[in-house]
Amino acid sequence: MSPRWNATFSTTTRHSLEAGTTVEVPSWAAIARLLVSCLLISAIFSARADELPESPQDSRFEGYPNAPEIRVVPRKDDLFFYPCNQCHEAIQPNAEIRPLSAPHDSELTHGRGLIWCLSCHDVANRDNLRTLLNEQVDFDDAHLVCAGCHANRHKDWTFGVHGKRVDNWTGERTQFSCTHCHDPHKPAIAPRAPQPPPPVRTGLELTPGSEHVNEPAWARPEVNQE
Amino acid sequence: MGVIRFIFDGVREMLRGPREYWAWLLFLSVVVVFGSWQYWVQFSNGLVVTGMSDQVSWGFYIANFAFLVGIAAAAVLLVIPAYIFHRKDIKDVVLVGEGMAVAAVTMAILFVIVDLGRPDRLWHMIPVIGSLNFPISLLAWDVLVLSGYLLLNLAIPFYLLYSRYRGREANFRIYFPIVVISMFWAISIHTVTAFLFSANPARPFWHTALLGPRFIASAFASGPALIIITLEIVRKVSTYKVSQSVISTLALIMTVALQINLFFVGAELFTDFYNEGAHAASIHYLFLGLGGFDSLQPWIWFALTLNIIAVIILMIHPLRKNVLTLNIACVLAFIGIWIEKGMGLVIPGFVPTPLGEIFEYVPTSVELSVSAGIWAFGVLMFTVLAKAVIAIEQGRLRYRDKKSEISQ
Amino acid sequence: MSKDPGSDDRGKFDKARRNFLRGLGMGTAAAAAQPAWGGDTLSDTFADFFQKHYQRMTSEEITETLERIERKAESRYGVEISCENTPPQPGVVFGYAINISRCKGYRDCVDACVQENNLGRDSQVQYIRVLQMDKGDSNLEHSEHYYDPETVPVEGKYYLPVQCMQCDDPPCVKACPVDATWMEPDGIVVVDYDWCIGCRYCMTACPYWARHFNWTTPEIPAEEMNTDTHFLGNRPRPRGVVEKCHFCIQRTRKGRQPACMEACPTGARIFGNLLDPDSEIRYVLQNKQVFRLKEDLGTEPKFWYFSD
Repeated sequence: MSPRWNATFSTTTRHSLEAGTTVEVPSWAAIARLLVSCLLISAIFSARADELPESPQDSRFEGYPNAPEIRVVPRKDDLFFYPCNQCHEAIQPNAEIRPLSAPHDSELTHGRGLIWCLSCHDVANRDNLRTLLNEQVDFDDAHLVCAGCHANRHKDWTFGVHGKRVDNWTGERTQFSCTHCHDPHKPAIAPRAPQPPPPVRTGLELTPGSEHVNEPAWARPEVNQE
Repeated sequence: MGVIRFIFDGVREMLRGPREYWAWLLFLSVVVVFGSWQYWVQFSNGLVVTGMSDQVSWGFYIANFAFLVGIAAAAVLLVIPAYIFHRKDIKDVVLVGEGMAVAAVTMAILFVIVDLGRPDRLWHMIPVIGSLNFPISLLAWDVLVLSGYLLLNLAIPFYLLYSRYRGREANFRIYFPIVVISMFWAISIHTVTAFLFSANPARPFWHTALLGPRFIASAFASGPALIIITLEIVRKVSTYKVSQSVISTLALIMTVALQINLFFVGAELFTDFYNEGAHAASIHYLFLGLGGFDSLQPWIWFALTLNIIAVIILMIHPLRKNVLTLNIACVLAFIGIWIEKGMGLVIPGFVPTPLGEIFEYVPTSVELSVSAGIWAFGVLMFTVLAKAVIAIEQGRLRYRDKKSEISQ
Repeated sequence: MSKDPGSDDRGKFDKARRNFLRGLGMGTAAAAAQPAWGGDTLSDTFADFFQKHYQRMTSEEITETLERIERKAESRYGVEISCENTPPQPGVVFGYAINISRCKGYRDCVDACVQENNLGRDSQVQYIRVLQMDKGDSNLEHSEHYYDPETVPVEGKYYLPVQCMQCDDPPCVKACPVDATWMEPDGIVVVDYDWCIGCRYCMTACPYWARHFNWTTPEIPAEEMNTDTHFLGNRPRPRGVVEKCHFCIQRTRKGRQPACMEACPTGARIFGNLLDPDSEIRYVLQNKQVFRLKEDLGTEPKFWYFSD
């Protein structure tokens, strides 16, 4: 049997062999191995489908004491490429850290190198995200992924003091998810132009005064001189 | 009815006089008409025709108001010596002083009315029919005390003059208690006006306990200045007897008041500039300019100079006794205090705004015209009142009872 | 919402008014209904002049007044508006907090407020003013009001939006000589625009520069007018009166967010019921390092700032 099969399903075995040696296997064992591998693969896949938590209630996340009930505005409708498995079902998962090709953003500034795509995206099922504990998380519940690192913000968001509540100030709380405002791949919000400055009363004009210069103490030259 | 004859005769006296008198009335009337026309422009277009803004929301009108309330209060400087200290010489002229108070209060009230955004809603200030926020609002207090002062200064002279007109002795027990009330009331009108400004912690320039005393001191310096000039003019254009002792008493009061006023100014300057914090921004703007804005700076230094020259003249006895130098000092003090207590008080309270913005204010021609019209109206009012008062006091105006004439 | 002046279901007041005017020899009701006084009918002008203080009107009188306001808006702006008098919700006192770490100085709140509250485009009143401050400096005198850079936020600056603080001990309420401004039970400091005499003493008294005056008649383009109005809120206001932020009373009394909060893209604004222990505003007050402006003046603003 061609060593390529072994290479595909048991790369560790291959690495344990010394370079240059070949592996001789009896043909019956190879067929059996192939069959078992196929069964295993399908078993793994089908098992994965069954094991997908339906909702965050299945998550280990304990929540915050006295947290209010909130409804999160769904994200999936806004995601252009969703469902991701449209393509990814046919693509081999590749966990190697590398720049991605189109149509994905290959730019990932989030974490400045401390994380990469598969830190948040599930390698096997691209229609889900993953938490630090490798739990599956739906795209509409992305905040559970963010909470893994940004716990303080997440707590603020849960209690409504970070992020944006929509529609009302009383009654059912509906909030935007984190990714509504923060692009998880490039989270820094770009500066934009402000609305125009306030007007001056009709008939009067703004006379420019002298430029206000308020230097902090450490910037004044006499302080910096040694 | 004696009262109706009294009023009728009084008005007739007001409309009688030599050519110069009529020329004066005509001149004042022209200014009043001009001011009224400009006010019509303001009433039709709104206060946008003024130079005021959200940043400096009170301007020339309120500046004149604050100054005139002081002039009105200063009538008490004649009332007290006349009725408490029984100074006969002053008692002879006290009604002229009260006529000035009436004119000054009327001017002050007019200045407030022209400053209102909705003068058509003035009735809202009437208690019961409207809704007067008394005793919490200082403006409500001001409305009441000014109206009361006007009534007092109309009632007392009315009673005294009517008695004289009818040839009878005024009843001491009737008028004296009211006179005493008017003395305290005079102090109260100016104290309430000072509290109007000093009640606002949002405006650190005004939020000082010294503002009340400053108002009284400057009122007692500027009021006598005007009274002295006026009495000198009265002496000149009429046969009314004005003793020199009246003038010298007023000059002495004015000297002390001006000294105290300058001391208060000094105290303010020291307190704000010694350890200059954010609260000193307004006085810094006034005296030294702020952030490149300094339109009031020349005015306040000019005013301070005038006051200092005036007080020096007044402190030198021979100069105070000399008619010419005394009159110069009066004019200087009057103008100096008008600047310092008018624009020099109101505008810096708004610069910088509570949010730190510096926005300057310049009165427009509409404001200046309307103000000139109101001043002319006040002077006109005083002229005609003085004309009638003098005629009655000199005995030239008497109630002629037809029946008694025939029987004689 | 405007009703025909001749319609029968206008009630006894109308009839009484017509009789009164007839008695004065003013002519028939038809004559009195001719628009003449700046576009208003004579009867409307009379009713305007004698209109009582909001707190003294009976509910019938308030309904009459609301209808009159709607008629005036129609004749002045050519727009049919609805003017309501939604009462305060019981058990509610409003509070507001701004996260100054989130505010980037966009001024979207200012723009939304102008649209929502029918602020005069030419009288140029803006209830909200955003200050650009130097980082490390909280001195308002060093603030920049008219910042207009290419982009915001500017490096080294932070942004402080200021509007009416709806103080619990409001100096403006004390100052008003005619009781034209007062604090409603839900904590909003309101102005009766038809009672205000325009003396501007309240503007002098306010430490936050929150009160603004209509130096001219507010001009609002008809197509931009917000037609859902409240008597104490965003209904078209006349010239010569003071106005200010009222926490979008026409929205908040119905459970909606104030326009500034809805417009803020960064979610810097937090609004809610101070009496509800589970509200976001209470969470902010209990868990964040909040401060208020000019705390030492004792005005007890219901408007906090925090950063995180």
